[in-house]
Amino acid sequence: MHRVAYSLRDTGWEGRPADVHFAPVPPATPLVELHGIAARIGATTILRAVDLTIEAGQSVGLFGANGAGKTTVLRIVATLLRPSAGTGQVLGADLSGPDRYDVRRRIGLIGHLPGLYPELTLEENLAFSARVAGIDPARVTEVLHAVGLGNAAGRHAGESSHGMQRRVEFARELMLEPDLLLLDEPHTALDPAAIELVAHVVEGVRSRGGAAVVVSHDLDRVAPLVSMTAEITGGTLR
Amino acid sequence: MTTRAPTRRSIHWLDVTAVLGIGTALGFALLTPAERTQGTPARMLYLHVPTIWLAYVAFVVTLVGSVAYLITRRMRWDHVAEASAELGVLFTGLAVIDGMIWAKPIWGVYWTWDARLTLTAIMFFVYVGYLALRRTIGDPEARARRAAILGIVGVLQIPIVHFSVIWWRTLHQPPTLLRPDEMQIDPPLLAALWIGVAAFTLLYVALMRHRIELARLELALHEDATAPAGPVAGDAVSAPEVTAGRSRS
Amino acid sequence: MTGRPPFWPQVVAIARRDLARERRAGEVVWITIPFGAVALLLIPLAVGTNENLLRDIGPGMFWVVVLLFGVLTAVRRTSTETPAQRDAVALLGLDPAAEFTGKVLAGGVMLLGFEVLVGAVAVALYDIDLSGWPWLLLVMPLAAAGLAELGTLSGSIAASLTAGPALIPFLVAPLAIPLLLGATQSAEAIRQGDSILSWILLMAIVALALAVAGVLTARPLQETR
Repeated sequence: MHRVAYSLRDTGWEGRPADVHFAPVPPATPLVELHGIAARIGATTILRAVDLTIEAGQSVGLFGANGAGKTTVLRIVATLLRPSAGTGQVLGADLSGPDRYDVRRRIGLIGHLPGLYPELTLEENLAFSARVAGIDPARVTEVLHAVGLGNAAGRHAGESSHGMQRRVEFARELMLEPDLLLLDEPHTALDPAAIELVAHVVEGVRSRGGAAVVVSHDLDRVAPLVSMTAEITGGTLR
Repeated sequence: MTTRAPTRRSIHWLDVTAVLGIGTALGFALLTPAERTQGTPARMLYLHVPTIWLAYVAFVVTLVGSVAYLITRRMRWDHVAEASAELGVLFTGLAVIDGMIWAKPIWGVYWTWDARLTLTAIMFFVYVGYLALRRTIGDPEARARRAAILGIVGVLQIPIVHFSVIWWRTLHQPPTLLRPDEMQIDPPLLAALWIGVAAFTLLYVALMRHRIELARLELALHEDATAPAGPVAGDAVSAPEVTAGRSRS
Repeated sequence: MTGRPPFWPQVVAIARRDLARERRAGEVVWITIPFGAVALLLIPLAVGTNENLLRDIGPGMFWVVVLLFGVLTAVRRTSTETPAQRDAVALLGLDPAAEFTGKVLAGGVMLLGFEVLVGAVAVALYDIDLSGWPWLLLVMPLAAAGLAELGTLSGSIAASLTAGPALIPFLVAPLAIPLLLGATQSAEAIRQGDSILSWILLMAIVALALAVAGVLTARPLQETR
């Protein structure tokens, strides 16, 4: 496994995120292919027929109104939701097949709501992720410093702001080095200094041959990050 | 997923045979000479044994349907498991009730801690839990998957529960008056018993057929409601009707 | 990023997480255990305080309380996991079987603690005879393991269902009867000076069967809809 090198400038609380250098992504083109994907939850149709192809090095901005199905597309690409119809592959794994479990480790997701455990400290949350993912827990300190939370490592997640929890999730993805990064409203709750973190992480994944999907309502902020955009409307992608 | 059109309602030979069979079994149960030691109350035997038999059959069929669904992911097998579990609740409940009715004139109490009766009561609650789980899940495939797993785990635990209860009751040496194999069963009574078992089995098969068809129609209705041509969730969301300071409406 | 992370470190990580969360939140220690103790207190108020009667029913009442209240530890852990937390863990490359095993390990430890502390209350209130107590070193862990497996399995089956907290104890109770009988009949056999090996064997078979079932069904249950 490649060792990630960080530039550990003293960021402080208002500091800029450190430079991040990622290991290259194994070649597999395209990284995401969806054909005729439909999604139903209970009696409700969310997606009707979604086609999407993402090549290595691309980043896609996904837009749409509330309830259009943006998060549903993201969760299907993350292999967390099986489509009701259609075919697709993510990182070479069939969306409906058993090998989709094997590629999950290569997918990173920062969702709309934080997935931290409020009873654990920020450091403990990351250490747990490191242990499950088979990463040396010593890297937790590095990534926490990289996102500007080195001095807040001992704070409980439940006592931390939404923005701090979001930074921790970025730190987690820095540590995990996903090949496919999925971001749902990534700029929410981040202060102006931390917003640069989004661009750094997306650019990092792209530059080493991975891909990113960014769901957002903020066209102005996302446009510089992405190589193409798509809109979900009427259950399909345009 | 394609579905067949609903079948026209018609009298099936299974239904006719089942009704005739139940009628025949009832006739034999009432007309066969009374059992020597327990007399008329022992006629409950002709109901108790078939219902116990079907309770076990239904469990096994639920297990088969659950395993087959997990392997094939075909909804038909989930329909089989669901239908059999519902009939299992019916027959297990009947077995408990007719056992209680039988016990009262013989022992003076409705309930005994006989191993088989206790096990039947436990099976009843396992079935009810299975059905309760199904009722709480709206999505058909999620419901089928979770119910299949519970069906397999629950049913495979039953032999262990059975042995533990038998051991427990053996140690405490309960009365065995309710055990059919300890009663005097002469050939006429045995014939009536077998007719009852056969008739109830036919009834189970006929009811299964109807219940599986009903489940198939329910799934077809659900899929029609969510067909690709239907509305998507996002269509219900429109721009807010507000201007600065107050609402337009 | 090649291959799957090793199984047992994942098991330990999951168990550590659950135990750390419980240590900080303290729900089992401050709520579930006292609730179990209160239940033991209520029973003599309902059936009478005759000491011989209480000595007779004490072990049985203790194990019923363990079964009904101890399973609440599994309910609590399942009902407080959010979808975002589940998604985050799934994308760490977590083996579903490792998750089941880790949760059972943590749940078993918590249940064992429940048994010891509530057991002390039962001995005090019901004047339970503890001769033959070394056998408890086998019976209590086996009961804890079996109940933890049942609770974790039921919790996974009912995960993210609104009715989950009510449904899980109902699913567990009938299937836990062999464990209940094994534990109570062991106590009875010790009192009579008989062998308890058959009951220990029964509990071990139940625990093994549930472990196999939990591992085999872990992957199908991880799918989210």
